[in-house]
Amino acid sequence: MGTVRLARMAMACRFELVLQGEDEPWLRAAGEEALREIERLETRLSRFLPASDVSRINTHASQEAVPVEPWLLDLLKQSLYLHRCTNGAFDLTVGPLMKAWGFYGDGARVPGADELAKARLRTGMHLVELDEAHRTVRFAHEGVALDFGAIGKGYAVDEAMHVLREAGVERAFLHGGTSTMYGIGKPLDADSWNVAVVDPRSPDEPVALVAIRDEALSVSAVSGKSFEVEGTCYGHVLDPLLGKPVRGALLAATVTSSAAIADAVSTALLVHARPLAGYRSLVIRSDEKGPLPSRILHHGIPLYRTPKNGSTPFSASMLNGHITTLQQHPNLNATL
Amino acid sequence: MKDRTYGDLLSRRNFLKRSSLIPLSGLLAQAPAIGADARRATFREQVQAAVIGFGPQGRDIAATLTRIPEVDLAAVVDTYNVMLQRAQRSAPGVATFENYREVLDNPDISTVFIATPTHLHKQIALDALSAGKHVYVEAPMASTIDDARAMAQAARDNPNLIFQVGLYARSHPNYRSVFQFIRSGALGKATMTRSQWHTKESWRRASPNREREIAQNWRLDAEVSTGLIGEVGTHQLDPTLWFLGKRPVAVTGLGQIMLWNDGRLVPDTIQAVFELEDGVPMLYDATLTSSFDAAYDTYSGRDSTIMFRDHRAWMFKEVDAPLLGWEVYARKDKFYKETGIALVANATQLDAQDISPTEDDPNLETPLWYALRDFIDNHAFGPYPPAASYEVGFEMAVITIKANEAILQGTRIDYDNALFEI
Repeated sequence: MGTVRLARMAMACRFELVLQGEDEPWLRAAGEEALREIERLETRLSRFLPASDVSRINTHASQEAVPVEPWLLDLLKQSLYLHRCTNGAFDLTVGPLMKAWGFYGDGARVPGADELAKARLRTGMHLVELDEAHRTVRFAHEGVALDFGAIGKGYAVDEAMHVLREAGVERAFLHGGTSTMYGIGKPLDADSWNVAVVDPRSPDEPVALVAIRDEALSVSAVSGKSFEVEGTCYGHVLDPLLGKPVRGALLAATVTSSAAIADAVSTALLVHARPLAGYRSLVIRSDEKGPLPSRILHHGIPLYRTPKNGSTPFSASMLNGHITTLQQHPNLNATL
Repeated sequence: MKDRTYGDLLSRRNFLKRSSLIPLSGLLAQAPAIGADARRATFREQVQAAVIGFGPQGRDIAATLTRIPEVDLAAVVDTYNVMLQRAQRSAPGVATFENYREVLDNPDISTVFIATPTHLHKQIALDALSAGKHVYVEAPMASTIDDARAMAQAARDNPNLIFQVGLYARSHPNYRSVFQFIRSGALGKATMTRSQWHTKESWRRASPNREREIAQNWRLDAEVSTGLIGEVGTHQLDPTLWFLGKRPVAVTGLGQIMLWNDGRLVPDTIQAVFELEDGVPMLYDATLTSSFDAAYDTYSGRDSTIMFRDHRAWMFKEVDAPLLGWEVYARKDKFYKETGIALVANATQLDAQDISPTEDDPNLETPLWYALRDFIDNHAFGPYPPAASYEVGFEMAVITIKANEAILQGTRIDYDNALFEI
């Protein structure tokens, strides 16, 4: 029995895959196909590639109904459903808002009131019309743009896992940028893939140790990409309901059966700054006052208790999933 | 293009009309540009098509066909049930078969796309032509020269059936545009070309079924594989030879297994030097051991070098090269210490649509889409010889099969003219 580790840059982050089994060349072959699937999906879902499906939709859907492949129609339908489940907090149409706040690479800034109002008019899933019979998508008006940033990575993880299962892989763990992950089966040395969720303000302290087995975990946080104007810190996750970057929460995590759902829901939890009914989740609020425990709201994810014997609160060896989210890990170079 | 002056426009249009940069139309073997209206008027009925072989390439073909409204994917054929399950996921409700005869015997299906392992192309293609089907076959078209010749002969003998080889550069607007640049003398005297394809992966495929796994790993089977030069190099060497209008007279090759020492006999790292008809050297290297600098092609000459990367092109002028005039208006991109002048296809059309002619076309499609679009258009407007014709496909097959031999033997091989006879 051996372990194979693979990594690939895609979707602006580092995907890392751990596979365990008897035949290493075979595991590697399966893993490579899974990572190629992620790369393939990036070419379909990227807003930056002119030949991607998303670019095609964003360019033409305000003038005409744009035909899409069945998988993309399904992903759009799922996104509409998740939009409803999260009371509007997960939204594919945040593109114009992201642009107004300068999150598309041209320098983050606070937009003017007119610009923001204009962007908000172009935001909302009600502006996306799906025609299931003809398999087309159309926008209600000019300026609407899809951005799969809050679900694309999770969808890619799910599809990669499907490839691994087809090949017959029984033990594997995949994460994208340490924020969205899935574990197939269990590792050789434990009953589950264990992942530490840490407090962004003190990365050495785990707030939860999540045991994953045939499940997905997604963690969203406002740290990483943020900017400050006159003492106010703005994160890079937008609240589509207010048209502003989220402020109430620092980090949100959720565990579900699918990485796509986990990805979308963790973003929504960050917007709502509290757990949502029906999802195993954890939210660290950004309130300045109060000790950490009082800032953590959780449902279905137990908190990690620091041992009182004075030893290291937790060690890398406890993490057979081999990563701590939002933290660099010495064994894997996992970075945000 | 908000801040453009009228003078800019005039200069740009002037350049685009300059006779020195407009190729002789006869040099371009391609269908005329077809507008959407002409298409609607000419396609009397939907093209009913089948994809034979649903590996990564077959799947990509099926996906791309959904973006070509005049064709329906009627059936998918694969001998492996996992691939047929994938087909059902990609195209719910599509008819699936394990034996390709099922689609050849179906009179409603007029067209087949062959995306099986290379060494299985021949029999399917010959049977498809005998059954009266139009054929699109992936490149390289065969794994032996005899097979490629048999296919070319069958295509020649069925002039009423379309036979297109999957050499997508021939249909891609950016490649056609660079063809025009090079043929109109933009390089000055051509002196050398160099292409590379670098990636880090084992090239192995996994399957839960060991027998199936052997079949799936045909690229690593030295008995049937055309190696990196055939399976990958084909798509880089074809545009190079097309742009220069040359055929190689000899090839010297080397190959090594540098990293994936897992019992394979097919090299994971290769180098080939081709000598073209007028002495221009064409260098090619590929590796599965390092991803550094990925894939690109350069065509160098006395006055400039043109580079292709990700199907986009840039020109790097020599300091002593004559001023062309229009480069002042072109977009420049930095590559370390070099400045590349972006070569944008269809600049005049973009300008007419009020889209910046210096930026890449926002309506750009994937390379495969252009190849399939050409092929499907041929159903309504043809049959005419496709840009990637059986002659072109056959010639590329001969060139890469012999190059693979040179690589495996570490030797120099002359291309005897008789090799190229169909």
